[in-house]
Amino acid sequence: MPNNLARSLRTLFKLNRAEQEMEREVRFHLEMETEENLRRGMNPEEARLTALRSFGGVERFKEECRDVKRNRPLETLWQDVRFGARVLRRNPGFTLLAVLTLSLGIGANTAIFSVVYGVLLRPLPYQQGGQLIVLRQQAPLARNNNLFFSVGEIDDYRAKNRTVADLAEHHSMAFTLFGGPEPERIQAAVVSANFFELMGVTPLLGRTFASSDEAHGAEAVLILSHQYWRRSHKGDPNIVGRVFRMNDRPHTVIGVLPPLPQYPNENDMYMPTSACPTRSGERFIANRNARMMSVFARLKASMSEAQALADLSTIAGRMKETYPDAYPANLGFSLTLASLHKELTERAQPTFLVLLCTAGLVLLLACANTANLTLARLMRRERELALRAALGASRGRLIRQLLTENMLLALIGGVVGVLLAAWSIKLLVNFAARFTPRAAEISPDNTALLFTLVVSVATGLVFGLLPALSLRQNLVPSLKEGSGQTAVSAGRRRLRGALVVAQVAVSFVLLIGAGLMLRSLFKLQEVNPGFDPERVLVMRVTANWSKYTTGQQYRSADYFRTIRLPLLSGRLFTEGDDAQAPQVAMINQTLARHRWGDEDPVGKRISFNEGRNWVTIIGVVGDVRQYGLNREPTDELYRPVRQTNGAGNLLVRTTAAPAVMAPQLRQAVYGVDPENAIDQVQTLERVRHESIASPRLTTVLLGLFAALALLITAAGIAGVMALTVSQRTHEIGIRMALGASAISVLRMVLRQGLTLVLLGLALGVAGAFALTRLMSTLLFAVEPTDPLTWLMVALALAAVATLACFVPARRATLIDSLTALRSE
Amino acid sequence: MAKTRSDLLQGTLDMLILRTLALESMHGWGVSQRIQQTSSGVLNVNQGSLYPALYRLEEQGWITAEWGSSDNNRQAKYYKLTRAGRKQLDEETANWQRLSAAVEQVLQAT
Repeated sequence: MPNNLARSLRTLFKLNRAEQEMEREVRFHLEMETEENLRRGMNPEEARLTALRSFGGVERFKEECRDVKRNRPLETLWQDVRFGARVLRRNPGFTLLAVLTLSLGIGANTAIFSVVYGVLLRPLPYQQGGQLIVLRQQAPLARNNNLFFSVGEIDDYRAKNRTVADLAEHHSMAFTLFGGPEPERIQAAVVSANFFELMGVTPLLGRTFASSDEAHGAEAVLILSHQYWRRSHKGDPNIVGRVFRMNDRPHTVIGVLPPLPQYPNENDMYMPTSACPTRSGERFIANRNARMMSVFARLKASMSEAQALADLSTIAGRMKETYPDAYPANLGFSLTLASLHKELTERAQPTFLVLLCTAGLVLLLACANTANLTLARLMRRERELALRAALGASRGRLIRQLLTENMLLALIGGVVGVLLAAWSIKLLVNFAARFTPRAAEISPDNTALLFTLVVSVATGLVFGLLPALSLRQNLVPSLKEGSGQTAVSAGRRRLRGALVVAQVAVSFVLLIGAGLMLRSLFKLQEVNPGFDPERVLVMRVTANWSKYTTGQQYRSADYFRTIRLPLLSGRLFTEGDDAQAPQVAMINQTLARHRWGDEDPVGKRISFNEGRNWVTIIGVVGDVRQYGLNREPTDELYRPVRQTNGAGNLLVRTTAAPAVMAPQLRQAVYGVDPENAIDQVQTLERVRHESIASPRLTTVLLGLFAALALLITAAGIAGVMALTVSQRTHEIGIRMALGASAISVLRMVLRQGLTLVLLGLALGVAGAFALTRLMSTLLFAVEPTDPLTWLMVALALAAVATLACFVPARRATLIDSLTALRSE
Repeated sequence: MAKTRSDLLQGTLDMLILRTLALESMHGWGVSQRIQQTSSGVLNVNQGSLYPALYRLEEQGWITAEWGSSDNNRQAKYYKLTRAGRKQLDEETANWQRLSAAVEQVLQAT
């Protein structure tokens, strides 16, 4: 076949698959036609040319064929994608900026969503976790909303209920473990033998408890938690069978748990009730008032929580009647229950939902910005688009092309966002751990990826559709316009203005949220903890036996002096208050007020065991906010440490920096008795610092989001203003040529920008009003409508926005009128 | 982009192609030759109309295409009528007959 024919054909048709086929088909046809022509008597040259000519216009032919094949959506999509990629590559500045803002927005959302999903939404990792409930006994009249359970009560509930498939008990104690390199302080959960079966947990190694392990006098056994096994025994696969000594008994390891969140607290190991010295004591078992355990249960398949509550409450009622001594009327004794899922997620819910909303708003801001950027670029591309329309592209086709470009941008932003999220998730997990044990379940998994995909696509649609739909029906006039300055449709300008207004409003809401949290945090830090925490080191020292306490605190004679707790009445403990002297106690101000009102309680006596032993009150001290700076001080009673045996926290006020002194103090304690185990050494200041860690971190996160929002908004405002100025260059030039001063030009431009900002602020105020009441649970001593915060935020935002307007406005004044008039 | 031939003519071309393929599967060149021969040279289908029509018919599922070798051992794309295509052919033939009868009537009217 003639070479030049082949070559010309190849250059005419682009070589992709369908086109290749077309080419082959046409080639065949041409060959046949040429042969026919030869047969008719033409010479070879003529034959060829006639054949070619019979095809008509080649371009037209190609276009027609392609048009027919238009319905191959995948091919056109691929074309669009390639074209879009090329467009993005040609505008690196825009692409980079857009990808950056989008990835920050999408990444933040993915990260927070992973947390929300892992903690709040995902079903519990226990088998049929929806059936698991937590029981709780309460004495609301004695202001005690967690009374725990005694052995007698657990037996009653277990035996008499009709709605619960199984019931297990749990309590947690600290013991000293021997058998390792040094005595180790461990936290052990003491559970009934059916505990793991009830939760539906299968061991990673070994076995779980059998009912024989719980029998009185059975050999003591241990099951290790996953974290402890990895941490202290390096994941030793031969750990099962090892024997440790604890509480003067040998304990054999029989199994290791899989990695699961532990409720209600993290424990190093688990043991059956028969292995706990306190729990297995005869007197303890017989005493209905010895309440120490928590109770979990699994509902029967057909039962609801309400039915279980009614059933168990009936049993509680009957217990009250049968044992009136154990349930005096002034307790207001009652039973309540909640699903395990609710218990695990309640604390975390408000904070994380607020964070999720915040992240969502930031993403909206990023979308608005990108939409604005796209609109700006669109105006410059009008000629290109008009050309394509003239060549035959329908409006739908062009919209599809633009949408593909923007979708591409959004997806790239999504990919980068996922990377950002993965990087930041570890920080978030640490943060979440303060609110719920489920934090360990958080991981960037497929659900998060799916979420990212959906969000990216939605983002692309949101900021892509708006500009795309703003394409005019008839683009051809822009081709005719001689000037490169296309007339901006009023609609498009209004759209950009509306976007800026929305951005300002959303930023305002976010800033208010962050501002409120910040004020709340300051208030928290100002709260007087009741003691002077400077340079005090705290260590927990335990002798080889830890006793169960009834909310009493054991304090050495020097405690109050060490922490400089003010003595309000009576005297402090002295060395003389030892085991042989009369039993004494000190109480805090709150307890004094509750029990004795305005009377001085010094000299009065109280008893814990119905008159068998009496303790005299010798002094009253100030309140310590033991359980957190944001909680009311509870009733506190102090006993001298020599009048009981037990563990205590050793507080040492040091002259030098506490951290330096710590090792020396450790040696001193070991010197007294090598069986003393020491742990939790930290400064009191640090303890206090930690106690407000959660609100501090929340504030940091919200603050970050708000700062990001402000940045995006400022950039958005500046961008719109700059564009407006550049488009009105001509007009400004005329004004200046006609004698307008620089100031008046500045004023004109600023007025335009500030109108938008003020509108945005107004909207923002309305929005913030509606939304901030939702975060009132997170705030401390600050109202959601706190006027100071609102005023400061409004001023700050107005200032930033004005600055953002000012810079381009100032550039307007520098326009040289001659060049402006000449500019096209 | 406006089409330069009327829909009427386009529909007619489709019908002729389908009719040609109903008798025998053939390639594009064959179709154009057959139409020319059968109409005694009156209907001369130009390639610029033929191939778009073939591709359109293929898109609509009335014909299918398959590569094969021709009489002189060259690779060519052969088209075949489908069952749906046959039904379409019957429909279009009926329409055409109705139309041409009506036109005839109008022309005969005095």
